[in-house]
Amino acid sequence: MTAGAGAATVCTMANEQTLIRMQQVMLRYPTGKTALSGITLDIPRGQFVYLVGESGAGKSSLLRMFYGGVRPSSGKLSVQDTDMREAGESRIRELRRHTGIIFQDHRLLFSRTVFENVALPLRVQGWKTERLIPRVRKVLEYVGLEDRLWSYPEALSGGEQQRVAIARAMTAKPAVILADEPTGNLDIETARRVQDYLMDLNRQGTTVIMATHDLQLLESHPGRVIQLHAGVLVGGDA
Amino acid sequence: MNRSDIPERVHPRLPGGFHLPPFGIHQFLALMIVCVSLWALGALWLGMQAAGQWVGGWQQDLRIHVYLPAKRAGAAEDLRQALEQVPNVASVRKITAGEAARWMESWLGDVGLSHRELVGRLPLTFELALAEDEEGFLFSDIRDAAERFGGMINDEEVSLARVNHWLSGLGMLAWFASLVLALAMSLIISNTLRMTLLARADEIHLMRLMGAKEWFVRMPFILEGALIGGAAGLLGWLLLWPLVWGAGDWLALLQVDLNAWLLFLPLVAGGGMVGMVGALIATASVASADSPV
Repeated sequence: MTAGAGAATVCTMANEQTLIRMQQVMLRYPTGKTALSGITLDIPRGQFVYLVGESGAGKSSLLRMFYGGVRPSSGKLSVQDTDMREAGESRIRELRRHTGIIFQDHRLLFSRTVFENVALPLRVQGWKTERLIPRVRKVLEYVGLEDRLWSYPEALSGGEQQRVAIARAMTAKPAVILADEPTGNLDIETARRVQDYLMDLNRQGTTVIMATHDLQLLESHPGRVIQLHAGVLVGGDA
Repeated sequence: MNRSDIPERVHPRLPGGFHLPPFGIHQFLALMIVCVSLWALGALWLGMQAAGQWVGGWQQDLRIHVYLPAKRAGAAEDLRQALEQVPNVASVRKITAGEAARWMESWLGDVGLSHRELVGRLPLTFELALAEDEEGFLFSDIRDAAERFGGMINDEEVSLARVNHWLSGLGMLAWFASLVLALAMSLIISNTLRMTLLARADEIHLMRLMGAKEWFVRMPFILEGALIGGAAGLLGWLLLWPLVWGAGDWLALLQVDLNAWLLFLPLVAGGGMVGMVGALIATASVASADSPV
């Protein structure tokens, strides 16, 4: 192999390993507010990444860009080999099918059972109903809620509801899970249990990107830390 | 889905695609309102059908007869020429005395009058075919021409012709009313579905975040609109039957035999169509945050 070919192979491998690549990304909302500015960073596959920063620092905006909720105003953003500035609606939909999203308020559907909530991503992907129950049962077993399959979310505690949200995010085996302060409303012990699940998913190969205010979690569950302040990177990744 | 995996009295309802959203009070109210509107439309068209049959029962083709007493037979040719010159008279045919007598004999039935006896008593008769685009003074012009030569026009036929003319106008109005009501029904269904959409905004948002295609998100609501419209059409059609049965004896006297089956498809399919249009209007602008744009 020549030196040039070797370099190209390394570059291709690097591309394959990079899940998210950002170069000088800026995000400005229609209101004129600049949410993110000059963000340049790579997130390799399989990493556990914390996004930290004060409220309004741009953590949620960054996560929204990763699933195509907003598009960068300038710069380059590639997520799972998709150029997020140029991608059409169908490509964004495809990307979202490989992305699990967890919210601070978990956004469960309270008029639907745990089964219906967790089955939703698979239903969207056209899974036949007969395949849904074993798969949903399996992910609920993983989060310790297999006996709650036919319960309604309002019958569950806050921690259990967030575990259902985790089950819903992981049920379609996504390449990446985006979690926007998933432990924000939970007590310390429940937060640690939820964090354990996310770490375990990461050990199984899923990239996890989690926005959080809880700096104690960073000590108990270490990962890469990306710090934002007023829409720009600070700290090691700046 | 294997039922053995699902406990008794649990019925999973997965959203999206061809699965209908749950049926609630708003949908029931919309169904009732659309049903009443469709029933009113059905009754209107039944009325049109009855009126059409009543006029058509007397005279299938629009023809007017002008009579000239036998003692004025010498003016027959002049009268024919005068009638031919009336604008919008398409043709004038002189009915022979024998033909008139035979028709009269068959119409009177078994009353003991013979064909020969009748020939001497009947006036000379002209049958006028009218052009389709009749004008307002047509019948007056015919009457004037007839009276100039001592003849007379058949006034009952003129009345029927006028009713027929009004019915044509009424038909246009009925179509107009149908369109306006269809639009109103679409908006009622659209409004109902908009409430359902608002109630399910979180579900729609989540489905979009999970990569659902737009047809998958909107299809349940379109199906629901079509179902409400179709069911309202069916119910409205069923409620037309008491009307048909109730007025049946009286209408029979007028030689009118209503056929409500003719309205089955228009009401059910039309109702479904109206519901679908309402659903399309409702779902046309279902925006969620984070939609790919």
